[in-house]
Amino acid sequence: MPAETMIECDNLTKKFGDFTAVDHVTFSVKKQDIFGFLGPNGSGKSTVIRMLCGILEPSEGTASIAGQDVVHETDAIKGSIGYMSQRFSLYDELTANENLQFYARLYGLRGQAMKQRRDELITLTHLEPYVDRRAGLLSGGWKQRLAMACALVHKPSVLFLDEPTAGIDPVARRELWDLLFELSSAGMTLFVTTHYMDEAERCTHVGYIHMSKLIVCGAPDDLKQLPVVNPPGTKRLDVTCDHVTVALRAVRKLKGIRAATVFGQSMHLLLDEAVPEQSIRDTLSEVGIHEVDIRPIAASLEDVFVILTRQHAGGQS
Amino acid sequence: MTFEMPKFLRGFRAILYKEFIVMFRDRTTLFFMFFPPLLQIIAFGFALDNDVKHMAMAVYNEDRTTESRQLVDAFVNTQTFRVVKEVNSLDELETMVRRGKAYVGLDIPPDYTRKLHAGQKADVEVLIDGSSSTTALQALNTALGVAFQRSVNILLGETNRRELPVEIRPQVLYNPSMRAPNFFVPGVIGTALQIATVFAAAMSIVRERERGTLENLLVSPMTRWGLMLGKLVPYLCVCMVMALFLFTILRWVFLVPIHGSLIMLVVAAFLYIFALLSLGLVISTKAQSQNEALQMSMTIMLPSIFFSGFIFPRETMPWIFYALSMILPATYFIELMRAIILRGAGFFEFWRHLLILAVMGGVLFSLCALRFKRKLA
Repeated sequence: MPAETMIECDNLTKKFGDFTAVDHVTFSVKKQDIFGFLGPNGSGKSTVIRMLCGILEPSEGTASIAGQDVVHETDAIKGSIGYMSQRFSLYDELTANENLQFYARLYGLRGQAMKQRRDELITLTHLEPYVDRRAGLLSGGWKQRLAMACALVHKPSVLFLDEPTAGIDPVARRELWDLLFELSSAGMTLFVTTHYMDEAERCTHVGYIHMSKLIVCGAPDDLKQLPVVNPPGTKRLDVTCDHVTVALRAVRKLKGIRAATVFGQSMHLLLDEAVPEQSIRDTLSEVGIHEVDIRPIAASLEDVFVILTRQHAGGQS
Repeated sequence: MTFEMPKFLRGFRAILYKEFIVMFRDRTTLFFMFFPPLLQIIAFGFALDNDVKHMAMAVYNEDRTTESRQLVDAFVNTQTFRVVKEVNSLDELETMVRRGKAYVGLDIPPDYTRKLHAGQKADVEVLIDGSSSTTALQALNTALGVAFQRSVNILLGETNRRELPVEIRPQVLYNPSMRAPNFFVPGVIGTALQIATVFAAAMSIVRERERGTLENLLVSPMTRWGLMLGKLVPYLCVCMVMALFLFTILRWVFLVPIHGSLIMLVVAAFLYIFALLSLGLVISTKAQSQNEALQMSMTIMLPSIFFSGFIFPRETMPWIFYALSMILPATYFIELMRAIILRGAGFFEFWRHLLILAVMGGVLFSLCALRFKRKLA
């Protein structure tokens, strides 16, 4: 049985005056997917989310949540979406507990039902030690958990998270992702914007938006297999050696090298299949680097986005 | 509680609870709601006494006789003047006034006593600093009164009559002692309440917008009526407490007797505060930042300090300002306050004012809810 489509955008466009913030974006997200939405600042990620949440009117195109139109059935979608905005949307003067109660009341919960749901969410997000602390005094990671709990009070079937991990420590980041997987396996559909490539790798599907246009969309593994990322007759190698910046300069002069990037202690090369490993070793020993470890690698999502962005920029000029 | 909120008020209860908590936690806002009105009522009550006493007077007595000294004493005895300096030339007298060292300069010519005894008209020159109209007017009236009194006494002596042929017995109703606080303080309550309410309400939605919490409210099923009412009610409660507090100060600190019904006073305050808070919320739906909200509130409030009849009587205003005063809630509230507190006016004499305030409140509240868009711009 094919999974139900939870989010659907068809040529979704938003113009602010002369500026087109979102340009004919089309994609769909299925139930239980974790959809990672990537792109540089100002590329239109938040604008897409706001339109999908029904708080920003699209200039063109349509969008729907669980089959309900975001413009004409705004009230109907409110019960099925949760939204965690970039700035967490908490009231600093209220305690964690009061923030939760506020959002619970806002969604019509009251009395025993409200208390029960609050306790469930506190348990889910492990907020117990901080329930009586003012939100303004919580650290970034705990604020994020609280905001998450607030976005979940009404058990939404689709949860939008706008850069939930910006400025959060790695432990909190990992724990948030664990929680996202948990929610997804419980049937929730997640739509997450992020800047982190490792987070993108964890998503079931990713979309990359650049200069208001959706450049690519699909499962990470499918994207890495795209022909444009792996041109015929080329291979990718990881070269680990000392003095990697010196090595990079030397290797770039070599014939048949299409791209070379430093990754910590190694460099990633995209080169013609015809170039033998030995010629790399020879080139490096010429600059005094003798201990070299070479192994083949697959394209990363970052490679995918870099290549597609360059291509997109090239196509524009 | 089993009472179900009507659908169009969805979100009201959540906002209401939240606003109450935030209000009592956010001491700064509470302070800035209470402090300015308090300062205002105290400043106006104590300092705004337009019955000027002991004005500085310089005297150039060229006559130096018992009679001329009696004239100076007569001026001083009115309590309106006090002698700050005896000068020795007309030049010096004028200089004193010009420099602001004296409000009034009294010049008694050398032939004052001689002319008086000869039954001729004796001229006394009084220089008055006209740069402040209230004090100048009072100095002028008092000086004329002194001259008149002396003339009458002399004439009475000559005609052997003991009483004046005509005597006017004025009876000032409602504020018999003409105390300035009785006139000002009821009006001050109007402007004081205005500052607290409009600012507080104008900030409320803008603050959510600036903090980014508005987005989450918009995503939720909350309605605009629920939002606005939830924002308004907590402020209404606090401002009613403040109004009662101001009435207490009026009665027990400034000793202004309240002649009318307390219930009507409270009803008037309620309608007035409701209208002002709604006005503040209208500003809040329009302003994009707290700064903008502040400026808009100031722009709207300034006219009501000048044109509501709080300081200047509306009757003497050019028609355009008079028309402007007709659309200010403060105008009706201040008139109501003076009517109820000083004149003991009842409901049937002033129901129109109450009705107008109620209509203004209803219109402004509807406006703020209808203006509020459940979408981002």
